[in-house]
Parts: sequence; structure tokens; C-alpha cells
Amino acid sequence: MSTQICRVVELLLRSACCHTVRGQSCLSKAVWTPVGPSSLCASGVSVLQRRAYSLDSLSLGPGRPSLGPNSQQPRSERTSPSSALAHRNLSAVAVQGQCRPLCQYDFLDLGEVEENVRRAQACKKIRHFIVDPDLANLVAQHLGPDLQDAKTVIFECNPGPGVLTRTLLNAGAQRVVALEGDRSFLHDLQELEGRLDGQLEVVHCDYFKLDPIGLGNVKPPAMFTDKLFTDLGISESAWTDDIPVKVVGILPQRNERGMLLKMVYALFERLSVYRYGRIELNLFISEKEYLKLVTRPGEMMYYRAFGVLWQMACEIELLHKVPWESFVVSSKQGVPSSKGKLPNDHLCLVRLRPRADLFSAGLTPSNASTLLMMIKQCLAKRKVKLIDRLNLWSPDSGSKLLSEMGMSEDILTGHVFPEEYLRLFQLMDKSQEFTQSWLYEEILENTQREGWG
Amino acid sequence: MGRNPNCSPKVVSRCLSQMEEDGLSVDDLFNRCVFRQDERDMLLKAIRIIKPEYQPRLNMHTSKCSSLLVQDFYSERADHIYPKLDFTQEDLQERFKRQLSVEQACTITIDSVEAAKPVTENMAKMRELLAEQRIQWQKILLQALRESKMILAKSNTRDYRLNLYPYLCLLEDKEYVDIMIQSVANLPPSGESLKILARDLGNRVFTKYCVRQKHQNQTVEKLGSVYNAYTDLLAKDTKVYDVLPREQWWKLEMEQSSGPTLQGGETSWPYIVTLELGTYMVDMMVKNLKINSDILNPAYDRKFIPILYHMYTFRSTRQVGFIKPHPILTQMQQEAMETKLTFDSYVMPMLCPPVPWTSVKFGAYLLTPTKLMRTVDGATQHEELLEKCQNLHAIYDSLNQLGNCAWKVNKPLLDIIISIFNDRGSDKLDIPPPLSEAPKIPHFNPQDHSYTASEKAHMKRQVINAKKKCSEMHSLRMDALYKLSIANHMRDEIFWFPHNMDFRGRTYPCPPYFNHLGSDVTRAILVFAEGKLLGPKGLDWLKIHLVNLTGLKKRSSLQGRLEYANTIMEDILDSADNPLNGRKWWMNADEPWQALACCMEIANAVRSPDPAQFISHFPVHQDGSCNGLQHYAALGRDVIGATSVNLMPCDVPQDVYSGVAQQVEELRARDAESGLKIAQVLEGFISRKVVKQTVMTVVYGVTRYGGRLQIEKRLKEIDEFPKEFVWDASHYLVRQVFNALKEMFTGTREIQDWLTESARLISKSGHTVQWVTPLGLPIIQPYHRTRNQVLKSTMQHINLKISHDTKERPDTVKQKNAFPPNFIHSLDSTHMMLTSLHCYSSGLTFVSVHDCFWTHALTVDTMNKVCREQFVALHSQPILQELSNFLLHKYCTGVLTEAKSKKYQEYRRLMMLLAKVPQTGDFDLQRVKESTFFFS
Repeated sequence: MSTQICRVVELLLRSACCHTVRGQSCLSKAVWTPVGPSSLCASGVSVLQRRAYSLDSLSLGPGRPSLGPNSQQPRSERTSPSSALAHRNLSAVAVQGQCRPLCQYDFLDLGEVEENVRRAQACKKIRHFIVDPDLANLVAQHLGPDLQDAKTVIFECNPGPGVLTRTLLNAGAQRVVALEGDRSFLHDLQELEGRLDGQLEVVHCDYFKLDPIGLGNVKPPAMFTDKLFTDLGISESAWTDDIPVKVVGILPQRNERGMLLKMVYALFERLSVYRYGRIELNLFISEKEYLKLVTRPGEMMYYRAFGVLWQMACEIELLHKVPWESFVVSSKQGVPSSKGKLPNDHLCLVRLRPRADLFSAGLTPSNASTLLMMIKQCLAKRKVKLIDRLNLWSPDSGSKLLSEMGMSEDILTGHVFPEEYLRLFQLMDKSQEFTQSWLYEEILENTQREGWG
Repeated sequence: MGRNPNCSPKVVSRCLSQMEEDGLSVDDLFNRCVFRQDERDMLLKAIRIIKPEYQPRLNMHTSKCSSLLVQDFYSERADHIYPKLDFTQEDLQERFKRQLSVEQACTITIDSVEAAKPVTENMAKMRELLAEQRIQWQKILLQALRESKMILAKSNTRDYRLNLYPYLCLLEDKEYVDIMIQSVANLPPSGESLKILARDLGNRVFTKYCVRQKHQNQTVEKLGSVYNAYTDLLAKDTKVYDVLPREQWWKLEMEQSSGPTLQGGETSWPYIVTLELGTYMVDMMVKNLKINSDILNPAYDRKFIPILYHMYTFRSTRQVGFIKPHPILTQMQQEAMETKLTFDSYVMPMLCPPVPWTSVKFGAYLLTPTKLMRTVDGATQHEELLEKCQNLHAIYDSLNQLGNCAWKVNKPLLDIIISIFNDRGSDKLDIPPPLSEAPKIPHFNPQDHSYTASEKAHMKRQVINAKKKCSEMHSLRMDALYKLSIANHMRDEIFWFPHNMDFRGRTYPCPPYFNHLGSDVTRAILVFAEGKLLGPKGLDWLKIHLVNLTGLKKRSSLQGRLEYANTIMEDILDSADNPLNGRKWWMNADEPWQALACCMEIANAVRSPDPAQFISHFPVHQDGSCNGLQHYAALGRDVIGATSVNLMPCDVPQDVYSGVAQQVEELRARDAESGLKIAQVLEGFISRKVVKQTVMTVVYGVTRYGGRLQIEKRLKEIDEFPKEFVWDASHYLVRQVFNALKEMFTGTREIQDWLTESARLISKSGHTVQWVTPLGLPIIQPYHRTRNQVLKSTMQHINLKISHDTKERPDTVKQKNAFPPNFIHSLDSTHMMLTSLHCYSSGLTFVSVHDCFWTHALTVDTMNKVCREQFVALHSQPILQELSNFLLHKYCTGVLTEAKSKKYQEYRRLMMLLAKVPQTGDFDLQRVKESTFFFS
């Protein structure tokens, strides 16, 4: 019902103000405003429900309250970042040289939901998409107030129909790099790029296929980091500098863990994107994988090297939980079947911000590979005594190290905190005994990441 | 009842009448049961209490062979001349005793060929140290084993977990310890995955146990007496028999029926039990074997450190448990260069003719248990199928024929190879160099700040590459060391390779390292033990064989090859006389070592007073030209295809690879003209060599992925080819090769598609693909969805990915992709077996390496005739029609009522497809008999 009403209004309005528009879809925007927040909400929901994914206020989950009461009111958001926005739109117009009257609501139009859904679903690879404008707003909010800071670069991974891209730009982002791996979305994104004044750069690149391991030709969407960064003119920065790039996107469901492992290895050895500084990730990952990521010592089942390394390297913050249904999927199987014991009803927007002090006390990118190996060896089994592991690497050194650490002799590897592992490694690395240990040899043999760095 | 001296006849008769009621015949007891020790005699005694005249009637397994192909072979034997071995009966019986003692020991220790090197002071010191340590380790392990057995004996038996205690009581404690010590000595420096190590240990215990069992059952004595009688058939100084070895063995076993049954006493342990036992032993080794850390360098603090450690390596997201030796141990082992190697006894060739296969469970080695059919660890479906199968006589007989071929070592060649091996090796001649020739592992300190990050990354990569290279070199070197040491140990012996087969019927010699299936090097050091005159044409065959080994003159007629050989006689004689210091002509051959051996044989023959009278031991090979395609072309009676793979007589050999290369070149030229960059780049690079491997393997189911890798490798070998285009070019080429093949072999394509689609639908319907070869060998494809089974040992949980479990649904992708190649393999193995049987009945020596047949120079012509006749006979059978009938009968006899259901639709589709046998072309199969280059 409400959609129909909406359409009627839309038609009416179209005839009224057709000269102001960029396209048909802009009209719907014009409609939204006069009708006001409440009816907007209603119509939005009904559209979405028909597609079997809802975004009612409850399902927004725990992150929502932080948004404040007006989170569903695009209007009030739009009005707040005032001058910068107006300026951007002005210049965009100026560049294009189009003669067009200025309009108070001259924002990038997000496109019609149905059309975006259709385009997303037409994607040949299995991918999740942010199509819902409210969801996009929410993500933009979470990227923080420094969005409008000219220094912040945002890498948006696989924007697809570009709803989040536009939302970010509308929110005042000064430099968005859209890395799209699927050719079919490129054209529209590039068109958008052309209409703007440098706030958006579009690259045919899949962030999750950066620095491929295998041999063979590297063709887009696969790419080497240095090429990407050089092309974008981003230079290396010190680890302790401010965050140079924020990455936002949805981690592909295929091989989530493998991807996260690959990234954390790169982080410790400062390879791949991490050569360029503390790259912050804001990724949607499955709830299951998120829970594993943040498992604490003592939960023997899930406390693994994977989580320990990420916790050691980054401040991890859960920004938001969104039910799977809120995303559009380009496959029939939208919600993953959760076989395991962990709940998996949501995608979690997680911020992984590398710690500035990670490399300040003895850990260096070159000895980090030993740390990786040590953590992996320790946590292959969680219910073994740490002292046994240590003695295996350097006989009789275990009790000395443990007393230096102030740990009890019978502590299990699954009870040691990530910070403690880091400290333990720093002690080991200083001691002469351990540098002779085979542990140091081992890393070199097992580094199968030759395509890196 | 038999054992009890005053057993009442009433008890016995009641027992017999009960048996009668239950439909059990007394004869069946004797025919079907496995008896140990004197059980059989006691049974007979008991029965005779009631029926004093009773004689068990034994069925003689004389049921006729069902296959039409070999009916005549078995029924009309008038003109068969079965070959005799060149030994007296006494000699054979003596050899049997020696082989028996080797197998009873289960392991054999031989001199390493490296022993010839002078002993340095350091070597002596290391050897001494190791010997001391070993005594220590033995003591410690023995004690640990006893203690842990005590604990196990007392532990709660109601525990749901398997208690290994009984498995630790099968052998003497010391034997377990010896097995463990042996595995330490054989551990590669880069370690071994726990699963493999455990499996090997478990298997060793099982083998040893079987051998002991046979002792205790008094089987060994009976085996000896049957074997002694059996030698009568083989020896040269006895009468001529008109029965086959299998038939004779059966007869003898019937005659000597008292005592234990020889057949099929043991059943193998479940894979998981073998593994668990092995893991238990590994755990014991890791916990107990230690060494002083200052043993090599007194500067280090003295600590008692383990020599083996359990750790993990990480392969993407999987972690694999590994057992690694401590670097100190590795260093000691390498520097000691120990002069002795210890092997399991089945690694050695046999010293007497193998026991003929007479049933699924009995044959090959004397005591060591051997499977008739090699399978994936733990797969039982093949064996079940074979046991149900009534008549495998032709299969047994051909395996026996292959196993009965006696071999000896080509000593002059072995000496040359060992001299190079002990010097610096030679990559060019495929003699792996010692580790001292390995690239030095660059040393760098990651803490050193004078390097930039990228320099460090680069150095790190260098270290990784160097290490990888080292471990590859080590494993190649060890492999060669084993082969050469075994050969050297056998240098004055005459020996036999018992054979078994894989699940498609392809035959293999059982000893794993040293056999005639191996590389050029091992093939070159083997010759037939029996010598035969060269005869009038033998020398010519040797020369043609030599030219074949060089890889030259592929497109010349036999006469052309012979003439070429005659023009290069000087080079040939020079190679034979001065192999290492002369002109080294042989080194440039495709198969240099076999070529050298052939040069020497030719030199000896031409220098003998009458070459026709020269006694030659040399095997001459005849190769099928692209054998897979030959079978396809014959199945489809495809004229063009048949011509291109030499089923059709021609003056010069047709070369399918050149044909494909030509076709690809045409496609490329067309593409280049239309402006395709990569096609232009490839101009002048498309040769026979580039496409050969891919064409050869396409019939065996190589995918585009694999094909691309093959082509990539070839392109990389061409120095002039621009490296940056290798990837694109290989992609492009593999596509074109597939297209060219499709155009050239239309019939092949159709059959391949029909097979693939049939397998897909069968698998979809939930069945595994099965068929029966024309010789009656049942075949089942063991590909199922993977099931994970976790072995929870104290040391580590081992995850077993079991993909052969018949209770799981079939893996459709594998079932369908593997069916065409497996089917073709089952045909080529059938052809080989037929050839082998008929060669046997013609009295000639015959062995095979799949589609390459070997015989004496004298008998090449006869073998060629047999080979062609049997090919024609095989393909004169309606093979595809029979396959279709079999599959229809197997998968489409159930009745489905609901005509509308989806299932029914699928069922109908399957039925229609199976019934629709591909059409055949007009090729006249008989022409094969005249084709010179069919096998050449």
C-alpha cells in the first residue's frame, strides 16, 4: 500500500519539478523529504519486507542506541554537515559545467532500492551487498567524525551498486577509493567518479585479492599493493603515525578465516598494505568468526592462534551487529547454515585498529615470523603446559622464563593472554638460548607466502 | 572331538546330524575353512570315528574360465610350450630356503654403496657415537615399553577406547624396540608427518606378526614341502608339464591336504588400529629418546634433550602434526654416512620364483602378506568384490607369468653408475648429487640493521629456496642410494619381482624401490637372467632398440632406423668402450643409461665370432604409440584416429603428436592473422615437444589445469621464448590442443563423453561405478564423499579424511572424471595380460611396463605377433555393448512405479543413456595385424 502511495506522490512531484533533476531516481529523494520521517520509514520497511529482509528497529541490535534517536532520519543527517557539503556539490557542478540550479537537497542520490537490489543480485559471484540506505548510513556513522578530514582516505571494498559509496560522500567524506572487483559495477561507479571533483576514485581491484600468493599473471581485480598505493599516491608512513587509510567492506564469506589469517600475518611482518602504516579495517565478518576472533583465554575450544594474533595486534571493537537478512545476497542461499556451536545470526561490523605500540618493545617485522610460529605451535593444543613447549624449544629454560613472567609453572597454553604471549616472546628473543632453537629455523621453512612484500 | 582319545561316537554323530539339519555338508568344512596347525587332521579323525572310510571330496577349482577371450587358451594346450627356468630343481629349492630366511627375519641389513668411500676420522667418530647412543636408546625404549604395558594391562578395560594392550603382546618386546629404532634411522631430516610415520610403524608390526603367526601354525613347513614339489614344474631338469603354475600349485596343495591351510590365514587390521598402534609407538619414542646436547659441541651446556620432537606445520588453515629429528641427530647421521641400510624384507626382490597367485589372499612373497590388489589405505571394497568373484584364473596366471621372469644385474653399468654416484652425481644423467653439492644455505641475521626490509625479504626467500632445494636433493639422493644399494647387494644374484595390480588391473612389481618400472637408471641396470641367442634378426633389433632409446628418427621406418644405427656404429662402439672419457654420444640420448647399456650389448655382439650365436640377456622394448588413443580408436573403429595412432599399416610411423602440433599451428596461424597478440607471440614455438605430454595424458583424463602446467613447463624450457608471455601462451595453447584433439578424434570424443555422462548419472543415482574387464576382473571406483574420522591419541588428534567409504555417497565429480581413463586403463591392462598369457604359452620371456612390452631380441617378432593378435581379439569383443549391458543390468533393474516423480525421470534418463552405445566407424580391425608401428 504505502509503496503505491509513494509512487503516486512521486509521479505528481515529477511533473512538478522535472527541470531540477539528474534522473528519475532523484525524484524519489524529493518525495522522501516532504512526506517526512515517519512515512519514509514505513515505506522503506515495506519495500524491504517484500524482499524478505527487514531492518526494523529491534534487529539493528546493540550498536543502535549509540546512533541516537534520529538515526533513521536521513533528512536531519543531511542537514548537519552543511558547508563542506554544499561546497562539494558546488564544485562538482562547476567542473562538469552543467547548467543546473542549485538545490538545498542536492545530494548524491542513492538510487531506487529495488533497482539496486536487482543489480546486486545480478552479480555472478556470491557476494553480500549493502543496499539499504539506513544500513549504509549506519556504517558511515561508525567510520567516525574524521570522515570529513581531508587526510583520511577511505577504501571501500566492493561497493557494488554504490549505496554506501554515495552515503559516505553525502556524509562528507573527502577521499573515497572504491575498489570494485566486479567489472559489471565499474561503469556506473566510474560515471559517478567523473561527476565529482576527486572525492571518489574508482579502481578495478578486489581488496581481498591484493598480493596474490600463487604464480602467474596478476591481472585486475588481483593487484599488488605497491601498485595500488603508488597509483593512488599514498606513501609509506611510520607505524606510529595516524591511521592513513580506513578500509570498509564486507569480508567475503568464502574462506573468511584464511583471509583474516593472511591479513594478520601481513600485519606482523608489515607486508602488503601494512607497509604503508596502520591500516584500519572496518569489516563485516560473520558473527561466528567474530566470536572466535575475540575469544579470551580459558575457552579452550575457540582460543586459537588466529584470535590471539589479532588481539595482540589490534584494538578490536564491535561496532554493530546486523542480521544477515539486512544484506542483499547474489545467491539463493542468503543465510549461512550454522552448523557449529557458536551463534551465527549476524554479520558484525568490526573495527580492527592496529596498535601504535606494537613494534615498540622488541618486536620487529623481521622477528615477527618467529612470534607467529611460536603462537601457532603453542595454541595447536590448548591444554598442554606452557613450560613443556618452552622446554621443547630450549631445554630447561621454561621455568626461568615463567618466573620472569611471574607465571605459575603449570599454566596451560590456553590460559595465557595475548599480551603475555607478546611479552614472553620479547623475553625469549632477548635470550641467547632461544636464538639457537629450531623454532627460529622453522619459520623460514614454513613461510609459504613468497608472493608477498 | 578328534583330540579326545575316548570321544564317544554319539557326540560325533549328534554333531553330524545337527550339521545335516542346518544344511552344512562335511565336504564344505574341508573346502571352506581355514585350518591352523593340525586342526584339519583332528577334524578328519573325529569324522572317521563315525565314518571310517570318509575321504573329503575336494573341488578342484577347475571351473571353466568364463571369458571367451581365453577359453581356447585353457582348453587347447596341445601346442603350448611353457617356458622352463634355467635352474635345477635342487638349485630352486636352495633358493627357496634363502628367501625364506630373509622373510622370516622381516628386515634385512645390507651394505650401502656409499660404504665404498674411505672412512674419515670424523665419520668413524660419528659412527661410534651413534652406535653407543643406539644401545642406550634400545635400553630406554625397552624399559619404557615394559612400563607402559604394565599400565595398560591394569587400566580399565571397560573404557570405550581401544586398549592397545593385546597389540603390544603380539611380538617380543625387543622386536617392537627394533622396529622403533629402525624408523629413527630412516627419518628424513625435514621430518615426517605423524600419520605416515605411525602408519609405517603399525604396518611393520602387522607384517612381523603375520610372519610369526605362520611359524606358529606350522604353515612354514607345509609351504616348504609344497614349494619343493612345485619346483618340479619350473626346473629345467624335470619333465615337461602342460599345466600352469597356478594349476600345479593347487594340485599340490590338494595332494598335501593334511596340516594347516596355506591360503588366507590373516586378515589385515583396520587402518585406524594400525594408526593407533603406530601413534602409540611414536609417542613412546618422542618421550623417551634423548641425547646430550653437548655431544657434538662441548661448548654448549650439557642438557638431556629429546632427539625427536612433535610439532606442527601449517598448510593454509590446516595444521599437520610432524615428527622432526633434532638437528644434532641429523648432523650425526649425515656425517656418519653409515655403511649399513636396513630395509623391510619385502623391499628386496625375491631370491626364488614367487609363490603363484592361487587366490585373492595367497601369492607373491613366501611369508610377507601381500595384497592382490593395491588399494588406498583402509579401502576394502575391492577385496570384497574380488572374493565374490569366482574366476580370476587368467588374472592370476598373467601375474604369475610376469613374476616368474628371472632378472640379474647389469654389472658393468652398475659400476659406472655407482662411481658417478659416489663422486659428485650428475643432474644431467639423472644421478642425484650428494648434499655436499647442494647450494649453501645463506646465513643472515634478521636483527642486522644494515639491510633494508626488502633486502631482508629477499634473503629470507633465498634461504627458503635453498632449504627447499636441499630437502628435495636429500630425498632424491636417498631414493637413488636405496636403489643402487639394493642393486649392488643383488649384483651376483638372480632374482624375481613378484607382481600385483592396482584396482584397474594395471600390474606392478611389489618391491618398491628397485624394479624394472623405475627410472632410466634402474631400468638400465636390469637384464634378463636367462640368455637367448640373438638369432638372425636379433642384432638388428638391438640396433633399432638403441635408436628408439635415443628418441631420434621417430618418423623413420624400421629400415631407416637400422640404417641410421649402422651409420653411427663408431659412436656406438666408442660409447661402449669409453663411456665416461670418450665422445659421450650416449649421454645425449633420451634415455642415456639404457642407451649406454644397449651400446655395450651391441659392441659385444658385433665383436663375437658369430653375432647370430651371441647369447644376449638384453631386453628389447616395444612401445605402444599413444596406447590410450589406440584403444579409443579401436573401440570407435575410427578410421582417421586409427591411422594417426598406427593401427593402420603405413610405411612410416604416424606421429600423433606431430599431427596435433600441426593442427594447433594452423589454429594459431588463423588467430595470429586475426590479430590475437598471444598467437603472434607464439609464432615458431609450437613443436611436437610442447604438446606431446598433454596429448599423451589427455586420454588419461588430464584437465585443462594440468595441461596448462605441462605446457607452461615446456615453454619455460625454451630459452628464446619471452618469459612474460608464458602464462598467457600456456593458457592459449592448452585450449588449442584440446580443440585439435577434438577435431582429430571425433570417435574418441564421443566414447569419452558417453563414459563420462554415464558415470555422472550412475553416481547421481547414488551408486558407485563398477564394471568387469573382458577378462573378468571386477572393478569398482573407490571415490566417495569425504568423511572425517578423528583418531584421538594422547599425542595428537589425527584427522583422517576418508574418501573411500562405501557408506558415503559417491563423489560425482571424481566418479565421472575418472571413469574414461580408468576404463581405458582396464582395457590396456587386459591387453597386456592377454599378451602375457600367450607369450607364456609360446615359451618366451615377457615383461611389461604397462604399454611397453619387453622380451629377448630373438623373440621380438613373436611377441609383436602375439601382441597384435591379442589386440584384435580383445577389440573383436563387443566391449562397449557388454559394458552397456552390464551397467544396465547393474543399475537399471529395479522397478520404479511413480512414473511422474523426479527420481523416475532421472532413472529413465540413465537407462536411455546406458542403452545408447556410441556408433562405431568403418575401421577394419584386422588391419592392426599388419601394422608394423602399432607397437614399435
